[in-house]
Amino acid sequence: MSQDPTNSPQDDGANINRDDPMIAAEYSLGLLEGEELMAARGKLATDPDFAWRKEWWDDWFVPLTDEVAGMEPSREVWTRIAAQVNGDAASGGADVIDLQSRLKRWQWTAAITSAAAALLLAVLVISPGEVSPVPTDPDGPVLAAADPLVAQVPIGDTGLRLDVTYMPDSEQMLIGAIGLTADGVHDHELWLVPADGSALQSLGVVTPGEVIATELSEDITGNMGDGVTLVLTREPIGGKPDGEDAGPVVAEGAFSQV
Amino acid sequence: MADASTDAATIAREKLRTAMVRLADGDSAALEEIYAATRVKLFGICFRILGDRKEAEDALQDVYVNLWQRADRYDPARASPISWLATFARNRAVDRLRTGKVRGGAVPVEEANPLPDQAPLADMLLVDAEQSAQIHTCLTGLDEKTQNHIKSAFFDGYTYAELAEQADVPLGTMKSWIRRGLQKLRACLEASEVRS
Repeated sequence: MSQDPTNSPQDDGANINRDDPMIAAEYSLGLLEGEELMAARGKLATDPDFAWRKEWWDDWFVPLTDEVAGMEPSREVWTRIAAQVNGDAASGGADVIDLQSRLKRWQWTAAITSAAAALLLAVLVISPGEVSPVPTDPDGPVLAAADPLVAQVPIGDTGLRLDVTYMPDSEQMLIGAIGLTADGVHDHELWLVPADGSALQSLGVVTPGEVIATELSEDITGNMGDGVTLVLTREPIGGKPDGEDAGPVVAEGAFSQV
Repeated sequence: MADASTDAATIAREKLRTAMVRLADGDSAALEEIYAATRVKLFGICFRILGDRKEAEDALQDVYVNLWQRADRYDPARASPISWLATFARNRAVDRLRTGKVRGGAVPVEEANPLPDQAPLADMLLVDAEQSAQIHTCLTGLDEKTQNHIKSAFFDGYTYAELAEQADVPLGTMKSWIRRGLQKLRACLEASEVRS
């Protein structure tokens, strides 16, 4: 221990080897932001060793939750879960409103997991006025889950644009920012605008001049769909600082199905 | 005595594992069983992270609905079901905390974090007493500051940048503190795996 090189008085971290197992720990704990986060997500999707190591850290960190006091949630929570799972339209007004607000998401969930087709039917019955790209025949959820979604986000009148492709099969997204250059002062962060009006979801900071592949979290893939809007905001380097409002919207686009 | 409680925990874990497998096979009745066995622990985690009862209940709902939608992601051969569920709940709650801030700050954590002053409920499923002891032993080997930063990342969802801001140190300093800690932690945990 006395030979531990990390005991040096220099505190610049230069002597620390940030290897993959360490990046996996940083990812597991949620320490990363911006490009580092995107890079780690990409690695997780493509590198089994990295994915194994991330789970190794998850399994070591999770016993920390044993010191958290357990709490009893109120009874309505189960009622709400059951209503969602059973698509129970008769379970009260609040649930119906809740379901309606999630309609878009359900449609996509149903398209992705055909087991949910029956539920989808129930949801459509609740709000027949909603436009749906999904057929209502429970035996034939024919919307191809594999069809990619694409969006082009033109940047002002520069003629440049972001090309965003989402592949539902693999839950991967490609963001191409070819031709863009960094100005050294700002980063640009891409956001998904969920159709149900809930909070914007960050798709990460754009890497100028490159095409980056990332795997999306379930939170985000649940909101993916035809017509869903993307906005690009201008942020300080590293992306939107937490606790502050997002910067100005400089471009926007919408997904459409190929 | 210890054996009796260990057996009870093992049985509970196996029952849960079976229910998870049934759920993955499309048996939605299994969800209620899983909820009954795990809601107290998972709600505790959601509340600890979100610091607000309403938010935590929404997060909990989200956890189980997602579980039902994608139960096939759980690999019964790999992880203990409660540890997988607790990780899942923790990650969903942290995601929620972050997206909530985008909308204009739903829950300022610092304000809304009164920890419930109560003992863990007796019937709460624990992840694993042995593992729990080991991670604590290894964390205790780090200096106290670093321990707290790592725990804060885990429970409060803070990133490097946020931790640096709170400690009022440059980002690079915070990164090197934590990375040094993670390096030691890994060595300590791996050594414990070799022993066992």
